[in-house]
Amino acid sequence: MKRIEHKQLKETLYYEQLDNGLQVYLLPKPGFSKTYATFTTRYGSIDNHFQIPGGDKIRVPDGIAHFLEHKMFEEEDGDVFNRFSERGASANAFTSFDRTAYLFSTTDQVKENLTTLIDFVQNPYFTDQNVEKEKGIIGQEIRMYEDNPDWRSFFGLIDAMYEKHPVEIDIAGTVESIAEIDKETLYTCYETFYHPSNMLLFVVGPFDPEEIMDLIRKNQNTKDYQKQAEIRRFYPDEPEKVAEPQKEARLSVGIPKCLFGFKEKNVDLEGDELVRQELATEVMLEALFGSASDLYQSLYDDGLIDDHFGYDYSLEPSYGFSVAGGDTPDPDRLVERVREELPRILDSGIPENVVERIRKKKLGNYLRHLNSPEWIANQFIRYRFVGSDLFQVIPLLEELKAEEVNRRLSEHIDWDRFAVSIVRPL
Amino acid sequence: MSEIRFETIPVGNLRVHVCSTDKFKTNLLSAMVQQELSSSSVTRHALLPSVLQRGTESYPSTLQLKRKLDELYGATLFGDVYKRGERHIMQIGLEVPNERYLRDSSPLLEEGAAFLGELLNRPVIEGKAFKESYVHAEKKNLKQKIESLQDDKIRYAAQRCVAEMCKGEPFSLFNHGRLEDLDSIDPQNLYTYYRDLIRTRPVDLYFVGHLTADQVTRMVEKHFPTRDGQRQSVPVAGVKHSVDRVKEVTDRLDVKQGKLNMGCRTQISIRDEDYVSLLVYNGILGGFPHSKLFTNVREKASLAYYAASRLESHKGILTVQSGVEIANFPKAVDIIKKQFELMEQGEISDSELSQTKAMLINQLKERRDRSADLIDFHYQNLLSGMDRSLESIIRDVQEVSKEDIRKVADNVQLDTIYYLRDKGEGPVDETH
Repeated sequence: MKRIEHKQLKETLYYEQLDNGLQVYLLPKPGFSKTYATFTTRYGSIDNHFQIPGGDKIRVPDGIAHFLEHKMFEEEDGDVFNRFSERGASANAFTSFDRTAYLFSTTDQVKENLTTLIDFVQNPYFTDQNVEKEKGIIGQEIRMYEDNPDWRSFFGLIDAMYEKHPVEIDIAGTVESIAEIDKETLYTCYETFYHPSNMLLFVVGPFDPEEIMDLIRKNQNTKDYQKQAEIRRFYPDEPEKVAEPQKEARLSVGIPKCLFGFKEKNVDLEGDELVRQELATEVMLEALFGSASDLYQSLYDDGLIDDHFGYDYSLEPSYGFSVAGGDTPDPDRLVERVREELPRILDSGIPENVVERIRKKKLGNYLRHLNSPEWIANQFIRYRFVGSDLFQVIPLLEELKAEEVNRRLSEHIDWDRFAVSIVRPL
Repeated sequence: MSEIRFETIPVGNLRVHVCSTDKFKTNLLSAMVQQELSSSSVTRHALLPSVLQRGTESYPSTLQLKRKLDELYGATLFGDVYKRGERHIMQIGLEVPNERYLRDSSPLLEEGAAFLGELLNRPVIEGKAFKESYVHAEKKNLKQKIESLQDDKIRYAAQRCVAEMCKGEPFSLFNHGRLEDLDSIDPQNLYTYYRDLIRTRPVDLYFVGHLTADQVTRMVEKHFPTRDGQRQSVPVAGVKHSVDRVKEVTDRLDVKQGKLNMGCRTQISIRDEDYVSLLVYNGILGGFPHSKLFTNVREKASLAYYAASRLESHKGILTVQSGVEIANFPKAVDIIKKQFELMEQGEISDSELSQTKAMLINQLKERRDRSADLIDFHYQNLLSGMDRSLESIIRDVQEVSKEDIRKVADNVQLDTIYYLRDKGEGPVDETH
């Protein structure tokens, strides 16, 4: 077991890669009450076309990664939630574009709960009957999102930007696509993506790392995993330009929603390179749209945005985009103003002192997030999966230069890659 | 496990509550101001946090204020209003990174305290009024906030259910106020309202972080003007309410999924002895994934993605919320009513009881790991007037018996069934 100390942050991380390929990270947090564990596979909604090592290329129905996540909680002897509840652990799971995470938090019986987590994720149990039953539940989950204007405007934007890449597919799929799911396809996806070498286990809490690592090692040694070759994932060639400049929907809302953003061109990155671009872009977006920017304040004063206005940047090895927006009484005027103002900033550039101010803000935000064991675990995994390290963010942020931020400004702000999504009242 | 405690120190007529701990990488300061929840003040009260966050004497423009926060390493300023029973609470706070974890060691907390003190006590004014343009803009924002309630159908249905159930009681008011009050609010009357509020109503100032109680006291004395004199306490109505007839209410909006909510009177509040039994009752009924509602509405009948119950501890109300296919409303109502009946009949298995207790205790213990939760727990307790520590509630949870829960069940009365459905054809009032 390796020990990695982060002196400035007063955090010590323990790491080991087990014989079956599983990566395990432990972060002791003395003084905390709860232990949070997440067992995550690098498998999400975008992985719908792949090749099973040694097998044929296959394409699977939309929403299957999320469906699989739901079905993992059922075992031959009943529902796994009960096993966690019995030991006072609150369990959950989520599926994103790139990963599926199973997790629990508990203040008691850490070892027993951790064993339950590992065992249930490594023990699929799908039957024709339990697969059919889940379609009703997930159908209602899909319905719930159809009525959610924030979700609709977000997916409207992705849909406007992307033409071919599976990031445009709704994570839960559609009622029609999940109708095609059967237990055989679920097993195929499971066998491909739930091999320990494609997974990461992160545990954070007030425990002894030696004891916990020992438990995980022993647990894995009792299971017979064959070595798995690398999984090949196929993503279609995506044009650089947006698919459509604008998408609109009508829903029963009181206030219109408007999201806009730029589709990223530089997406073939990984490791620290990817994180560097991510940080430079985030600083650039904060300079443009952050609450202490001139543009934000002028839009706010004109009543075009409120304090829920925000921005975000996503960058993964096969896709990337920025998104900004929120509630606005006049979406068209808001977009017009953005189109008018950004070229001026593009001309003048982002001054050094603004980069400094934003650097401070981001360092502080990072510290605040470190109060949350959930945030640490989930972010750590995300950074590992792209080949970097969460704890490298501070040095990378400290090294970031104003020129890099300005280079991102001129690269990213390109009107051919600009899209808008609006949800208007009925 | 280390015990985390607040020490309460009166500073003038402010109550300062200090929790000294090195567990967090930030320091948190938060002010709570109580007001009676009433139609005459609800909208003005709701408007205050956003007006106060626009500017202070030293940072009169919002841009200056926001840039100051960035310079304090992204100190987070937050403000909101919420209901605790029939009290309307305004919270304004600041979370500042602890410089121990930064290379730059300039003292951020002292500056943060000065900032928050000024924000509360020396806002930007014009004569004896708040700055007009700020009030004007924030009135528009509040109007949007009220109108956007219907955008989130889960929240909308929850608020509508409570509003119908508590018609005529202050609790029916929405925490962000009413559209019809906005026209009558101007910079003068809002400022007068605020001065009166901050001088006469109970103000509690919380600190969680890496300072001793003495250090915090000195800091507060320096940055918050203290006065003498009693503050008026906020009166609280009782929660006993007998139901003669179950109300059924249907709203129609363009929705794909129907929302089914129910509101019950429990006749028990956080101020009562059997409150802890009510916590366990709610947990067995619908607090968790092993609970009756989740198991029967979702897992067995496959009718919903979510089905849960929640308590409003100060008002003594229990609400059920679920999202179901409109055609399945009758089926879902039957299943939910059946779960209430099972609770009354004492049909509770040993594992339901033990799982619920374990989950509740876990939830309580986890509250020690977030500074905002520590404050919330202490403040709820303070409002309840019952001196219950986290540890004593945990002990009491362990003691609750099936008989205690049955006694609670005897008091729980269904009051209102609320449906949010599509605009399609069909009778407005279903019969079940």
